[in-house]
This record gives sequence, C-alpha cells and structure tokens, in this order.
Amino acid sequence: MTLHGSGARHVESSLMRESLVDKNVIARTEGQVVSILPDVNIIQIGGRSIMDRGRSALLPLLEEIVANQSQHRMIIGVGAGIRSRHIFSVGLDLGLPTGALATLSAKDSAQNAYMVSCLLAKYGFVYLEAPFVVQLLPAMLAAARGAVFNGIPPYSLWEHPPLVGKLPPHGSDAGSYLVAEVFGARSMIFLKDVDGLYTADPKTDPAAEFIPEISAQELIDRKLPTLPLEPAMVDLLTRAKLVKQVRIVNGLTAGNLSRALAGASIGTLIRQ
Amino acid sequence: MEDMIEDKNSLLTSLGKQFLASSLTDASLQQATEDTPDFAILPWVNVVKIGGQSIMDRGRSAVYPLVREIVANLGQHKMILGTGAGTRARHIYSLAIDLGLPTGVLTVLGTAVAWQNAQMLHYLLAQYGIPFIEPEGFNTLPHYLMERSAVICQGMPPYKLWEPNPATGRIPPQRTDTGCFLISEVFGARKMIYVKDEDGLYTADPKKDPSSKHIPRISVEELLALDLEDLIVERAVLEFLARARNIREIQFVNGLKPGQLTAALNGEPVGTIIHKNGDAR
Repeated sequence: MTLHGSGARHVESSLMRESLVDKNVIARTEGQVVSILPDVNIIQIGGRSIMDRGRSALLPLLEEIVANQSQHRMIIGVGAGIRSRHIFSVGLDLGLPTGALATLSAKDSAQNAYMVSCLLAKYGFVYLEAPFVVQLLPAMLAAARGAVFNGIPPYSLWEHPPLVGKLPPHGSDAGSYLVAEVFGARSMIFLKDVDGLYTADPKTDPAAEFIPEISAQELIDRKLPTLPLEPAMVDLLTRAKLVKQVRIVNGLTAGNLSRALAGASIGTLIRQ
Repeated sequence: MEDMIEDKNSLLTSLGKQFLASSLTDASLQQATEDTPDFAILPWVNVVKIGGQSIMDRGRSAVYPLVREIVANLGQHKMILGTGAGTRARHIYSLAIDLGLPTGVLTVLGTAVAWQNAQMLHYLLAQYGIPFIEPEGFNTLPHYLMERSAVICQGMPPYKLWEPNPATGRIPPQRTDTGCFLISEVFGARKMIYVKDEDGLYTADPKKDPSSKHIPRISVEELLALDLEDLIVERAVLEFLARARNIREIQFVNGLKPGQLTAALNGEPVGTIIHKNGDAR
C-alpha cells in the first residue's frame, strides 16, 4: 500500500490511480476470457410466445427438455408475457418510471419460471433467484439435473432508461443471453412461436422472407419494424466475448430444440 | 385474448389494448409510451455520490469534514448517500482480468468494494440513526428518509453477473456513477450531486495542465461532442442523462472544500453542472 502526494491511499495494481473512464486505460483491459461453465446450454422459453399458450405449447417442450437431459446440461430462462403487458399499461397510466416498471415485470417472469421449475422438479430441476445464480449455480448443477431462472435480469429500479418511451429495454431475451455470456455457455437457444427471423412479420405479410443466418450488426442496420427478440439482446451480441452466436427456433414444432442442441442449422442463427 | 381486445367494457386502457395487439419491440408502441405522464416518486430527495478514489481512499482528512457537513445538512435536506469503489476495485479488476474472468464477475467483485466503502461511511454516521440499505431493501427507504433524513447505499447498480460487456476491454461500463444516477432518475429526485476531489470539469486535467480552464456549465450533448479521452463521470451517465425523463442536470462538487456540498444542496451553481440540452439557463 502506498500513500501518494494526492493524499489517497492506494493498493498497487496496473490500474492504480488511473481513470477507469479513460479510453486508453480501457483499451488496455482487453484480453483472453475463460469460460466458467463451457458445457452448459442456456435455453430461453418465451413468455408471450410459449408460456401464455399454456399446456398445449409448454408440456411437449418440457418433455423434449427432459428427453435431452442425459446428453445436454441445460439452464432454462423464462420470459414474462401478457401479464407484464397489462401491468406496463397500468403502470404507464399511473406515470411510473422505467425502473419501477422493470421491478414489476420481473415478478411476472419469476412466476413463469417458478411454474416451469415445478413442472420439471421431479426430473431434478431447481429454481434459482439471481443471488443463487451468482453463488450456487455450479454447485446446483453438480447436485441437481438442471436449473430454471428468471429470464429478466435483476436490474429492478436500476433498469436503463430506453432511447424512446419508457419500456424497460432488458427483458428475458437480454437477461438469458447475459447469463450465457458471463458463464461462457456452449449455446444460447431462444424458443419462440416463429421459425426465426423474417424480413417482415410473417403473420401479417405473406411476402415476408425467411432469414436463416445474419450478423447482429446487419440485423441492427436493417431496422426491421418488428423483431421476435429484444433489440437490447442483439446489441449485447455485438460486444460478445464468449457466446458469439445465438439461435432462434420455433418451440411449437416438436424436435426443434433437440436439433438445435445437436448443433443442426435450424431456425435463424444470429452471429456477432 | 382476442375477446379482450374486442370487449369495449374491458378494464384495459387504450394503451393497454395496443399492448395486446402489437409486439413490445414495435417502434409505434414504444413511441406511444413516450407520451405517458411522469410521476416523481421521491421529488424531495437528493442523491449524493461520495467518490471512492477521490474521497474514501483519502481516509479521515477527507471523510471526517464531509461527514460533518452531511450531518449539518440533515435538518434541511433529505439524502441518499451512495459510495464509489476506488483503488481496491482497480486492484481486483486488474487481478481478475489477468485471471481471464468476464465482465459480469468483475461487477460482482467491484460491488463488494463499493459495499465496503458504504459500510465504513455507515459506521461513521450510525450514531445519527442513518441506516445502510441493500438494493433489496429499497422499499423501506422512504420511511428512513422521512425519519432520519438520510440513508447509505453502495453505488453499484445491482446487475451482478448480468452486467453487459463494454464496447472495449473488460471493465464494467456501469459502475457507481451510473448506479447513483439511475437511483436519482427512477425516484425523480430533486438533485444528483457527485462529490469528487476536483472543482468540476476542466478543459484539460488541472493536475497536469496549469492553463486548463474551469467549465461551470455545459450540456451533455456538447460534452459528448468534445469526444474527450477522459471524463469526469462514467460515459453511461451521460448517455442516460441525454435520454432521462426526470433528471435535467447533474452537479459535480469538490468534497475536499468545506461548504461545496452544502452550496449544491441549497441550489447554488458551485462546481460544474452538466445539463440536458434545452435546459440551458
């Protein structure tokens, strides 16, 4: 420890007395990143696209997850869906800020994640709140057969204000991806109710063309009016260090998850 | 669900009906939320960030007078006191980077350092009944502010492993400046004051360049346009201020000069004020 002329006590390090805002200092912090859990697959189950449909959509998907359990380790993030849209509309009407809306919405995805964990409990899946993801996930994976977590990141009141409007930009797509990225997961698979990305909404525009593969930057530049994924997730992918591609597959089609886990070219691949 | 959209007597607002009919990523829906009202949750609270390297790491010579000034203001102003991290965070960031650990893990580690500083500040203010509050305990914050006029929290946002990667390198881009700013924005606070060891913003580093000039007031857009190599505050704060709905300006004061914090709390233009465009006075 050293006492500098400025009067501050410092611990010696390569960043000592440096401004962490300085661009040159930041550039020096590039380097190799290790994967903490390299064999784990992060699977995201959409809220509106899968959960809100109930048993007809969810139960076959959970059966497929269980069928893959012996070959693949899976951590499942779950989205919020229709209840969040309702509380957004009420909260916005009351004038509540983005951080308050994020705190409220995270309870909807927590409910969905908890239901999924109940349905998978007999196969050894556990539900982990954010503090347990931080402290216990590796131990849980060693002891349990899989884990389910709240897809919405724990930003709560600290959620970023969006560029336009007041909706929280980080939902369960961004939150699930961030878990994959920080642990350096083997794959990140989004289960939605569409086959992947299209040039327009295929439900309303018959001329919409399917996009089997695209880079994150290309996708941002195209400015598509509607995406089946949060734009914040695509933005995060541009800065990936470990998980440099994600796949969107139709979770309503039997066999898609298994094929995606096996590495088949199915749905849409978004690369860095 | 279609029944709900058609039902004229449904409990939904018109915006609620739009929420059912479109995707949350639709630009038109996001635009519609732009025109909703803003309610300030704690309009009388002041968020005060105490610097880590600039104040806490200096020990009693810097911290004791500041604590006295905070205590003297308890009768007049309500404060959320957030702390920075400082030199121990720099040490653990460089160690963790060397070990190959990712940004989210660095955030978990850095949060512990800001937490230590908050605890130390809490010990010094405990005799005045001022509590230390974790992010999970923020629901109790209005009560303590009404009863004791101040609370202490660690400045890091509670992102933990979910901290996004920076564009370059591995240092968490959203640290204690950003965490405190987001508290002030979400509560619709009266003021966001950063207590550091400089009189505010200069045209160059005053410690190295004696010809540098003090900037008393500047818009966030002007400051970003300067594209400086170094800044007085985390870049994320400037980006969020530019799009904030509640906070119009942030103020930087020198915590080593007695009276500057008090002056800022009283609304005086000490130090440097960075404001949103269209809010120039």
